[in-house]
Amino acid sequence: MTSVTDTLPATAAAPAPRGRFWYPYLLIAPSMITLTVVSLIPFLYTVYLSFHAAKFGRVTEFIGFDNYLQLLGDGRFWNSMGVAAIFVGIAVPIEFMLGLAGALVLNQNVRGRSVLIPLLFMPTMMAPIVVGLLWKIMLAGSWGFLSYNVLERFNLIGETSAFASPDLALYALIFVDIWQWTPFMMLAFFAGLQALPLGPYRAAAVDGANPLQMFFHITLPMLTPLLVVIGLLRFIDAFKVFDTVYILTGGGPGTATETPSILANKMTFEFWNIGEASALAVLVWLAFFAFCNVFYQVAKKRLNAF
Amino acid sequence: MADDSNRIEGSKGLFWTGVTVVYAIIVLFPIFWMATMMVKPNEAMFARPTVWLFTPTLEHFEYVIAQGFHWSLLTSFVLCLMSTALVVIIGTPAAYAFARFEMRMKDDLFLFILATRMAPPVCLVIPFYFIFAKLNLLDTFLGLTLAYMTFNLSFYVWVLRSFCRDLPVELEEAAALEGWSRPQIFRRVVFPLLRNGIVATAVLCFIFAWNEFLFAFMLGGKAVQTLPVSIPKLITSQGVRWGEMAVVGMTALLPVLAVVFVLQRHIVRGLTLGAVKG
Repeated sequence: MTSVTDTLPATAAAPAPRGRFWYPYLLIAPSMITLTVVSLIPFLYTVYLSFHAAKFGRVTEFIGFDNYLQLLGDGRFWNSMGVAAIFVGIAVPIEFMLGLAGALVLNQNVRGRSVLIPLLFMPTMMAPIVVGLLWKIMLAGSWGFLSYNVLERFNLIGETSAFASPDLALYALIFVDIWQWTPFMMLAFFAGLQALPLGPYRAAAVDGANPLQMFFHITLPMLTPLLVVIGLLRFIDAFKVFDTVYILTGGGPGTATETPSILANKMTFEFWNIGEASALAVLVWLAFFAFCNVFYQVAKKRLNAF
Repeated sequence: MADDSNRIEGSKGLFWTGVTVVYAIIVLFPIFWMATMMVKPNEAMFARPTVWLFTPTLEHFEYVIAQGFHWSLLTSFVLCLMSTALVVIIGTPAAYAFARFEMRMKDDLFLFILATRMAPPVCLVIPFYFIFAKLNLLDTFLGLTLAYMTFNLSFYVWVLRSFCRDLPVELEEAAALEGWSRPQIFRRVVFPLLRNGIVATAVLCFIFAWNEFLFAFMLGGKAVQTLPVSIPKLITSQGVRWGEMAVVGMTALLPVLAVVFVLQRHIVRGLTLGAVKG
């Protein structure tokens, strides 16, 4: 089906009795206007705020790049970027590997997939705040199921709760993220495996290739665009993490789990330092946008991924 | 069925089924544990060693209802329905246009749509808070509906575009030769074929809105209090109401669970291939 629309030039695909030029613009106009109102204007307002001194919710005066300089000289800002880097750098690769392994298992002759797949998918579809609550219960000091039956019994950590220790809290959050998002990777990759054509495998089987060779020479190359895009999506989402951290640690102990999202939130709604919080938002936003723009161009040309 | 399935013996299939089932049991145990806490008396909850058997109680449910949490449930439902309906109405034509027509600066326009999804929600909540404060939109259904558009509209257009691409264009061309107008073609040819894709994508948007916490917490909270926002409110000065939290948490989970079971194929597709084939 896709091949039909893809091989035809899109202009030929559009039956156009009249109004060929303006019709598509009419169709996208409501979306574009809405996104301008709910995304572009708030963004521009953030940029405006980031150049102003604003204390206690009131914008006072234009101060140029002072907020940005303040932020770049602030150890807490760099700490939050470091926390996010560790969080993403550990969680996403593990989710990726486990997800790929799980997808390969699921792609064997597993029975009862119509029941198993929705069950496996549950963590991913849960509200992050409920996921946070769930692990608050499992890892609660002294009475939490995991704290008492595993961590304490085998004396794995010296603390009563993983979230009480500055060294462990971040890894506990990484663990929770892996629990929630591995199923997403797994089912995304499984859907990709299911969509692969059979022909190359038959040919390879005739040539006497073993399963390992098939995986590295057929499966992996054909799956690359999917792996890249899903990896990117997860990378972006993991960097934005807020809800689970908010309910599990609130950024603590100290600043051990303070991600940029948590820090921006504290700057705004606890310290009411809106100017600096806006500068932080702009920096994160620009970094994301630049990264995605470059990635989109590269992926489109090299990997045919979009 | 792709590669190995036709070469693997039945017994091996059973082995991998076993592996998957064991994995599922381990992964889902925390959810089961939270479910039991809905009816677990407080004494049993904090007992050491862990108590497996207990006499069920309904006290947590009683407290939750006495505190009016069912209003949060209703609020969540109305809000998510409103925002999803709006996204479908606005986003469907755009998804169709991006899939079918050639436009100047099409790539840039599409990148704009993607770009709106890149920002961490916490970066958006700051300007929203101050703009809404000026426009008296804080703690209103309209305000939150608008805020939810930031993440759902772009997702909807992105995913539905790939569903549109899969439609055979010949039917539309035939209808055009019959002299049908564009709106007629859309209503009588495209829309019926696209219905499943629209439902699946809209359901995903509904779930994202249902699960959303930050916007609802910062921009709503009192008059418009959604279910996720009501959960942290059970952390009181007298202590954490764990049983009640479990009740609210499971209530938030059940609709999502039902939807995933009914629409599993579309959902996996919508979340993955939809996004990838973009």
